[in-house]
Amino acid sequence: MKKGLFAASLLCSSVAMAQISFSSASNVAISATYVRATVDMNGDYLDDIVGVNGSSIVILYQQTNGTFTPSTIATNAVTYTPDWSLAIGDFDKNGFNDIVYGSGSGVSFMKANATGTAFTEIAYPQYVFSQRSNFVDLNNDGHLDGFMCHDVQPNVYYLNDGTGNLVYHQGGIGDHAEGGNYGSIWVDYDNDGDQDCFIAKCRGGQSTASIDELHRNNGDGTFTNVAVAANMDHGFHQSWSSAWNDYDNDGDMDAMIGSSDGTQHILKRNNNDGTFTDITTGSGFDNATGSSIEHVSFDFDNDGFTDVLSGGSIMRRNNGDMTFSQVTINAAGSSIADLNNDGFLDLFSVDFWGGNSNIYYNSGNNNNWIKIQLKGIASNFNGIGARVEIYGAWGKQIRDVRSGDGFANMNTLNAHFGIGTATAIDSVRVIWPSGHVDVVEDPTINGPLTIVEGADPLSLVEVEGKKISLFPNPATEYIAIENIDLLDVSEVVVFTLKGEKVMTQITDYAKVDISTLAEGAYIIVIQTKSGEKYSEAFVKKNN
Amino acid sequence: MKNILYLLGIILLVQIVVTIPSCQKDDPDISPIGQSEVTVDLSTVPYPVLSDYKFFRGEMKYQIPSSDVIAYAPATPLFTDYALKKRFIWMPDGEKASYVADNKVLEMPVGTVLIKTFYYKNVLPNGATKIIETRLLIRKASGWIFANYKWNDEQTEAYLTTSASTVPISWLQDGEQKSTNYRIPSETECLICHKHQGQPVPIGIKPQNLNNLFKYTEGSRNQLSKLIQAGYLEPGLPANITSTINYKDQSKSVDLRLRSYLDANCAHCHAEGGHCDYRPMRLAFSETVDPVNIGLCVEPDEFVGAAYTSIITPSQPDRSVMHLRLSTNQPNLRMPLIGRTIVHEEGLELLEEWIYSKKDCH
Repeated sequence: MKKGLFAASLLCSSVAMAQISFSSASNVAISATYVRATVDMNGDYLDDIVGVNGSSIVILYQQTNGTFTPSTIATNAVTYTPDWSLAIGDFDKNGFNDIVYGSGSGVSFMKANATGTAFTEIAYPQYVFSQRSNFVDLNNDGHLDGFMCHDVQPNVYYLNDGTGNLVYHQGGIGDHAEGGNYGSIWVDYDNDGDQDCFIAKCRGGQSTASIDELHRNNGDGTFTNVAVAANMDHGFHQSWSSAWNDYDNDGDMDAMIGSSDGTQHILKRNNNDGTFTDITTGSGFDNATGSSIEHVSFDFDNDGFTDVLSGGSIMRRNNGDMTFSQVTINAAGSSIADLNNDGFLDLFSVDFWGGNSNIYYNSGNNNNWIKIQLKGIASNFNGIGARVEIYGAWGKQIRDVRSGDGFANMNTLNAHFGIGTATAIDSVRVIWPSGHVDVVEDPTINGPLTIVEGADPLSLVEVEGKKISLFPNPATEYIAIENIDLLDVSEVVVFTLKGEKVMTQITDYAKVDISTLAEGAYIIVIQTKSGEKYSEAFVKKNN
Repeated sequence: MKNILYLLGIILLVQIVVTIPSCQKDDPDISPIGQSEVTVDLSTVPYPVLSDYKFFRGEMKYQIPSSDVIAYAPATPLFTDYALKKRFIWMPDGEKASYVADNKVLEMPVGTVLIKTFYYKNVLPNGATKIIETRLLIRKASGWIFANYKWNDEQTEAYLTTSASTVPISWLQDGEQKSTNYRIPSETECLICHKHQGQPVPIGIKPQNLNNLFKYTEGSRNQLSKLIQAGYLEPGLPANITSTINYKDQSKSVDLRLRSYLDANCAHCHAEGGHCDYRPMRLAFSETVDPVNIGLCVEPDEFVGAAYTSIITPSQPDRSVMHLRLSTNQPNLRMPLIGRTIVHEEGLELLEEWIYSKKDCH
């Protein structure tokens, strides 16, 4: 703790010199009605710009030199267009991102083909007055599901059956009969490894549909609204979105619930015990400036503290002590991404009217940074829902990888961290939704770091000084797990690198028969009765 | 000046109205058979088909009301993709509505039914009239319920529908071809506009909207006086009713026309208790006397583009968010939120005229 405080004070002195500033508008030629996304679409981790029309998807692919190569992909004339929001993620795990469109009357999923060169629409017949959309693995089965806020009914979601088919469900995650669901955001607020859902809500006429909800993931596919107990119920406060990050770098996710009615925004500190404390007064959020439907949080100046952007142009810089100062940026952003791959997040802005699209490039500063790029194996492909942590002189910083921040748009899926004037990162740790943990020690800073699930495993675990390990590896007939009797195991599961579950063993853990498996790489996950998960990669080889 | 004369006229009219002894519904001139032909059993409505109610005489598609079904129309209607509308009201024998305020929906008795039929004329390819749906609002003891009836292609019957559907339609509007996917709303969608503090309510049937002449079969009459005469409204209305006008009436001021238009098209949400009452606009006729409530020089809550600095920027439609919202069909930007998919050119022109008429923030 002392170390953390010391680091915080060091950072405070360094941030005084850091600036948040952006270039003047750099016009982007993109012919699309809805330019709502800046996210990598082709697996090179360079953020692309995505626009949608009624019968095409326009992608400007970012090149390594910072230019963009446009591609217009014709689609059918879709039933539903992303009037209210879109979200992006690879729900069929084929390596190319898919898109969900939320319209005022229904929902369509656009599924990318095996080469990312065509999309097939899957339009759902149910009436949905869509608001915020998300991709999230809400039942933690390794497959991305779709979630859609319903403006006037209970929320809906689309559960992945594991083969890339999404099955419509309504009920269980926000069931107010009148809806009022505007800004869903999936956050692991209680640090238990699964994805919880906060819903910023809004409804006129003193309706209880306007009361915000926090749905705790019970880990078994069910959710419980714990807003009252958690102090996340904000009465008739009208909100369309909230911005979540660990604003004080104490290891849990804090929240800024944006106001859409001219009253004050609300800043909440996570007490790390399942509850939150209102710390709005004196925080810099206690004025209505920037009453807006869009609130997102990123570290725009790479000083190690995440900032908040409201209404596209109201930048509030995190002072590092849970206060925020508004800075003038003369720029605007509807989507946030690194559009020139320099480690500083840029603003992409679209004037809805007239189709003027602009990039405001982050002018940057001398602060150091790292960009974590994920590839899920047992977990979903994008690593959505992964908790990314970096450790160093500052203590700890964390991010959740999310598809669907703010209200309408889609931001980068890479996890950006600024580290201020620090010159080294001790380690990067990724806790995947599968429970797998990868750790990279002493990574190179000021560049991207790609982490493939299971490729940098935390050595399984040590109990009473004895290491639990796999042998042989590669293996042909069986994998022996040494010292596994030291763990109270509930099951051992084997996944392919595509995330397909191929074996589940609930007895005789010490020797896992893999003779029937095809040749290739696999992940073995050991789950204990207390819910801990350990995993390791191995290779099956025939003689 | 014209305005004042008009208002005086209304006052005189209303005074005449209130001095007329109210006729009862069993007046032989109105209902020769002495009791209603209409059947509304509150324990079994909504009925499966529209004809069950017996609101209409003869072939139903001609919408000839039964003797105690009274037609009405608000001074300015809600725009819904140029659909034409016929509206009727029916109440059980001996029941009456009462006046609450000029700008408040009449307090209607249990059993009241409001009937609204949506149709198009000059429908392509052969120029026929086509009725799409008839919506009912039925007042039960527990409150208002919605019942939507979708007409068949033969135009002989309309069937109760609870889910939304779309009907593609093309027609000639003043000689120009227009097309839309007309949406029949679900009950959930009805409630978006038809609610106050979350409870289902009628919208248009307010004294301010009915204080004007309507062409009945027997001739033109003030609608409020007609309702009183039919025994549907308690007599003794205030002498002066602050009233909306027909937004198309070029003889009236642009201000009065726009305010009437906003009331009909926007105020169901942008008023206290409405779907969007958390936004700063207050667009009911009774509140737009103050142009700040229309958004004149008011900063928008939502960023829609750097150019749009105010909800209404004096003399600059292109910098006015309201103008953007009326001129686009993009669902996340357009206003009203639901009920239209094409731009109402005449309404937009009126708004432009009003914006140009504003030279400053007052």
